[in-house]
Amino acid sequence: MKPLKGKVMTNIELNSNRQNRTLAQWLFNPFQFIAGGSALLLGLTVMLASAYLGSLSNSHFDGVLDLHIGKAAPLWIFLAEVVIDWLCISIVLLIAALFVSRSSFRVVDVFGTQALARAPYLLSVLVLMPKGFIRFTKYLVSKMTQQAPVEAIKNTDVLFFAAGVIVAILMIVWMIALIYRAYTVSCNTKGGKAIGSFIAALIIAEILSKIAILTMLQLAL
Amino acid sequence: MKKLPSICPACQSQLNIKKLSCQKCSTEIEGLFELPALAKLSGEDQEFVVQFVECSGSLKEMARLQKLSYPTVRNRLDGIIERIKPVENQE
Repeated sequence: MKPLKGKVMTNIELNSNRQNRTLAQWLFNPFQFIAGGSALLLGLTVMLASAYLGSLSNSHFDGVLDLHIGKAAPLWIFLAEVVIDWLCISIVLLIAALFVSRSSFRVVDVFGTQALARAPYLLSVLVLMPKGFIRFTKYLVSKMTQQAPVEAIKNTDVLFFAAGVIVAILMIVWMIALIYRAYTVSCNTKGGKAIGSFIAALIIAEILSKIAILTMLQLAL
Repeated sequence: MKKLPSICPACQSQLNIKKLSCQKCSTEIEGLFELPALAKLSGEDQEFVVQFVECSGSLKEMARLQKLSYPTVRNRLDGIIERIKPVENQE
């Protein structure tokens, strides 16, 4: 029997890989194809773009899973918020993986994939940008605090608000799915241990990020 | 030539080799021979191992050629190691 030729096998493998790549894989597990330094670079770019766009509509990333319309602040506050969120979830998942994973893993994969997993927030920020959404949010806040509305709302504002809320919820679900996939791929975690450690890490990271951002805001403003 | 099966299609048990023959002189040897550890892996896993050797054991090179991420390729190798360890221990 003739030995297998490396080049032929590689081409076959490449073709099969390209054929198998579906849109669902790219949307829910892009980390099969991208990780490490390239994911880190792309993820940081997306995070910085999210922070910049967030600063235009005062959308604050005040927690790992949080996105709220808030007060106007300098750009660096928005940048610091996204970086704190990313560092909190990455470090906590890294520590969780040290206990759960039986494989060795690279730190750059954990930080890179977690950065890229935050991409859905870029879309969330975009749907929170229309003035109709912001006006209706301010109107709701004034109603809840029993103060007179600062600005009159238009009939279409409620539509912007409803669409924005639905899209934002979908983006949060998508982001959680991506954070989980990034964790399982970069740290080679599987099964019940992966799910349990992920839920615990997500809760801890959410609390830590809230504390860190609140402390930063108290010191800065 | 057909690919060597390692799992029984009827009961999913591990198969052994009962007969070997020389294609040149038609000598036949009968007995009960165990498959080597690598031959007990699935066809896909065996192909992966061959490519891994061809890439001089470089996971980065494997990932580059297969257009997959480094951790995906490393996880697959870890999976093969997990499957091959019990086989080696049995031997």
